[in-house]
Amino acid sequence: MAKKRVLLVDDNSAVRSLVRQLFELEPDFEISGEAENGHDAVEKAENLKPDLIILDLSMPVMTGLDAAPLLRKLLPDTRIILFTVQEGSEVERLARAAGIHAVVAKNQAASKLILQAQVLLASVKQEYHPAKLRNAS
Amino acid sequence: MTHQDTSTSQNIKYPHWQREFEAALLEGDPQTLRQRVDAAEAAIFLRSQALVGSAQGHAEQQAISDAIRTLRAIQREKLGYPDWNKK
Repeated sequence: MAKKRVLLVDDNSAVRSLVRQLFELEPDFEISGEAENGHDAVEKAENLKPDLIILDLSMPVMTGLDAAPLLRKLLPDTRIILFTVQEGSEVERLARAAGIHAVVAKNQAASKLILQAQVLLASVKQEYHPAKLRNAS
Repeated sequence: MTHQDTSTSQNIKYPHWQREFEAALLEGDPQTLRQRVDAAEAAIFLRSQALVGSAQGHAEQQAISDAIRTLRAIQREKLGYPDWNKK
């Protein structure tokens, strides 16, 4: 099975490095690129065409919330997870309005990020191959 | 900016991240401030991971929440980050 390609977007290189290490432990994923703000993410996503984007919220130049609608327009099938230190229903509401598929707080277990990534990408598989899934059940 | 329970230089309660946080608070050089804020964020991220599932550490979690708010204000007001919560 082809590995799922992940674009990491966070202005903090230390956080990017930690998240990269986390995904590199997973055989189903590969980090295809990194970006340090929303604008950089939009530019890189166009070339990299990732399956999944891990998007920080607060970043210079362009926030994750401003980047998300552009990313959705550019790559409608790509799943987006907002990975942020900010928590709460307001962040959830704004994320949903921006077209983000899931929010994972940075103070949650890192395994939740991987789990959420797997869940979202499984839902893409179902959307793409409904007949195959029906036959399998 | 609020940073209750997080800024007593002589009395570090949370050594895993508080020194980095205070270094960001005290940094006067705009060129270095971004590095200090990034270091504080990374330390807080790592410490938050360590506190996951811990029944203890409620006071530290609250101190971390306060520190995150303060860092966000520094990013917005001193580093020129755009405000993600435009109302």
